[in-house]
Amino acid sequence: MVLETVPAEYYLVLSAAVFCIGLFGVLTRRNAMMFLMSVELLLNAANVNLVAFAFYWGNVTGQTFVLFTMALAAAEVAVGIGIILVLHRNFDDVDVTDATTLKW
Amino acid sequence: MALIYELTPAIVFLPLASFALALFFGQWMPKKGAVAGILATLGTLGLSLVTLGWLVLTGEPHDATWYTLVDADGAVNLTFGILIDQLSAAMLVIVSLIAFLVHVFSLGYMNDEGEPGLPRYYAGLGLFTASMLAFVIADNLFMAFVFFELVGLCSYLLIGHWFGEDAPPSAAKKAFLVTRFGDYFFLVGVVGVLVTFGTAGFAGSEGFPALAEQALTGETSVNTFGLSTEGWFSVLGLLVLGGALGKSAQFPFHTWLPDAMEGPTPVSALIHAATMVAAGVYLIARIYGFYALLPTVLGVIAFVGGFTALFAATMAVVKNEIKQVLAYSTISQYGYMMLALGAGGYVAAFFHLTTHAIFKALLFLGAGSVIIAMHHEEDMWEMGGLKDEMRTTYLTFLAGSLALAGIFPFSGFWSKDEVLFETLVHALGGSPLLFGAYAMALSAVFLTGFYTIRMVLLSFHGEPRSDTAEDPHGVGWNVKFPLVVLGALAVVAGGINLLPVEKLLGGSLHLAFLEGYLGQDIGLLTHGEHYSELLHDYAGYRSEYIGNEVTTILLGAGLSLGLALLGAVSAYGLYRGAAPARHTEKLGGVQTLLMHNYYQDEYQVWLAEGLTVRLSAAADTFDQGVIDGTVNAVSSVSLFSGGRIRRIQSGVVTNYAALIVLSLLALLVVFAILGGWL
Repeated sequence: MVLETVPAEYYLVLSAAVFCIGLFGVLTRRNAMMFLMSVELLLNAANVNLVAFAFYWGNVTGQTFVLFTMALAAAEVAVGIGIILVLHRNFDDVDVTDATTLKW
Repeated sequence: MALIYELTPAIVFLPLASFALALFFGQWMPKKGAVAGILATLGTLGLSLVTLGWLVLTGEPHDATWYTLVDADGAVNLTFGILIDQLSAAMLVIVSLIAFLVHVFSLGYMNDEGEPGLPRYYAGLGLFTASMLAFVIADNLFMAFVFFELVGLCSYLLIGHWFGEDAPPSAAKKAFLVTRFGDYFFLVGVVGVLVTFGTAGFAGSEGFPALAEQALTGETSVNTFGLSTEGWFSVLGLLVLGGALGKSAQFPFHTWLPDAMEGPTPVSALIHAATMVAAGVYLIARIYGFYALLPTVLGVIAFVGGFTALFAATMAVVKNEIKQVLAYSTISQYGYMMLALGAGGYVAAFFHLTTHAIFKALLFLGAGSVIIAMHHEEDMWEMGGLKDEMRTTYLTFLAGSLALAGIFPFSGFWSKDEVLFETLVHALGGSPLLFGAYAMALSAVFLTGFYTIRMVLLSFHGEPRSDTAEDPHGVGWNVKFPLVVLGALAVVAGGINLLPVEKLLGGSLHLAFLEGYLGQDIGLLTHGEHYSELLHDYAGYRSEYIGNEVTTILLGAGLSLGLALLGAVSAYGLYRGAAPARHTEKLGGVQTLLMHNYYQDEYQVWLAEGLTVRLSAAADTFDQGVIDGTVNAVSSVSLFSGGRIRRIQSGVVTNYAALIVLSLLALLVVFAILGGWL
């Protein structure tokens, strides 16, 4: 198979790249929707890792875990969008730097 | 166990029942609870007499634990128990007799005068009687302490009976606080005794006096906290003595008793003359087996007693209110009892306690009768000429006064003479310090004669000095009956211990009944003979006589009788006329000093306000400044740094994310360096 020829390091590099993009998004974006997408990237970077290692060791546990992570991600998106709606209702915007009142 | 000893708890529970009945149902009861109280105390008196009779006839004592409060299983047990020996059996009769007569008298003094709060009053009397009797039969120091406190509480409640007026509540508080101050030492003493001996029992070879004796002879050893055995025992003795001095109103704790006269007069008769004030003396007599081992403490007791006898008598000379004179004479007479205990006269002390309980209760009830007649006027200068109007009161009051003054052959003469005799022979027998106490007590005899006769003459003789004295209010049977009973006893009570007469007759006739009764060994180590041996062996009290015993008796009795008569005659000379002058005013500055009670009240107020309050204020400053200051300084550092550090909480979610990432990176770098990857 073609896949057998691709070594595990490639997957790790891909995963690290996707993770860094997600991290960059989280650190630089002000739009909450972009935030949510960046978080998705972070989660999927981890998923790539899990699947790659599962394949590498010939063990399906990692792939099973990924299914759970995707379900979790779906739930997270639902909650996240709910928060964004409330944010919009209260601040007329989805800029995360506006909502700074919940502190000391 | 004899049937009578199974009934002993009833001696306490009868008055307790009358307390509960009067408290909850008094409003609906005959005479507002008085009848219940009279019946209860009558029952108690009957039981006490039977107990005493049983003890005299069979010589069988009773010492048993009745209720275990805390069972520490081998360590210190706290128990309530009953000890019936010669001392407690005799004291039971005295207390219940006076309590009974005072209940009867209260019918005339409180009910007939239409006083308010009668159920509360009778409840107080019932509770007092029950606590006092329980104190008397206590078989250990812990139980004695509990009921010692309870009689103090009853005293507080009864002094403050008329709490609507200004003076009684204040007097009640003062009495409570001053006696409580002494009791504080007592409490520490009780704990000390329990810790040292592991028991606080009074009687038998298991009791702490017997254990103390063994420790002193070196048979056993006890923890003395680094002091010598005798030194530590003396400390314990002095601590317990603190409670006794407070209750028996001895210098310097005497100031509460004159103020306690704000209470109803029957209360003064029962509590502040005959019984509760005797609790202190009784306590010392109860553990005399312990005190007899400690010559230093005995010396302190003798001196405090002798000094108080003289000190209080001087103040009684100038007082104008009949109850005030009696109050100071009470303090003075308890001084004699303390002197007797300190000077090794155990029997003499109890003898004087007995006669004093009778004649002082009589005098207070007589004064109560006069106060009824005078429509609650207590100033003797408003009285005069009452002797023809109130024949019974006058005659009984006179009998009590002559007993108080120590005039032959009234009861007070015999007992006071025995106190002085014991002091004298022990002073002669190698304890010369007792001469000082003896001299003070002897001077007090003169003053006692003087103020007593002055009081009688001012109240009953001469011309009436006010309208109420012209036409006094009559008194009923319920006033006269207790007076007559006590009056008769005041005349003859000396007969229970005619020791001098026995000695004069050469011992052919047994007349010293009390001495024989208290001295007899019934196996509890609480008898007089045992105490005499202890005094001889440990305190070094030996008897010496001037010439022989008979000449010493005659000399001592002659001296005290002569001084008493001298005092009485000088008072008679000064105050006998139809309209006597206020002779004490001629004393000038001395009179002012005496009227102000040697400024003892001011001194104690100064102790409280000038010294204690200032010390407390300094302690408060230290607490607020140094201790709280340290704590506040520590917390202010936290507050300040927290106030600065919280600024990193910007509320911007991006910053948090950046912080987490940076921290993670830093952690990675640290791991990398520590792990040696770099």
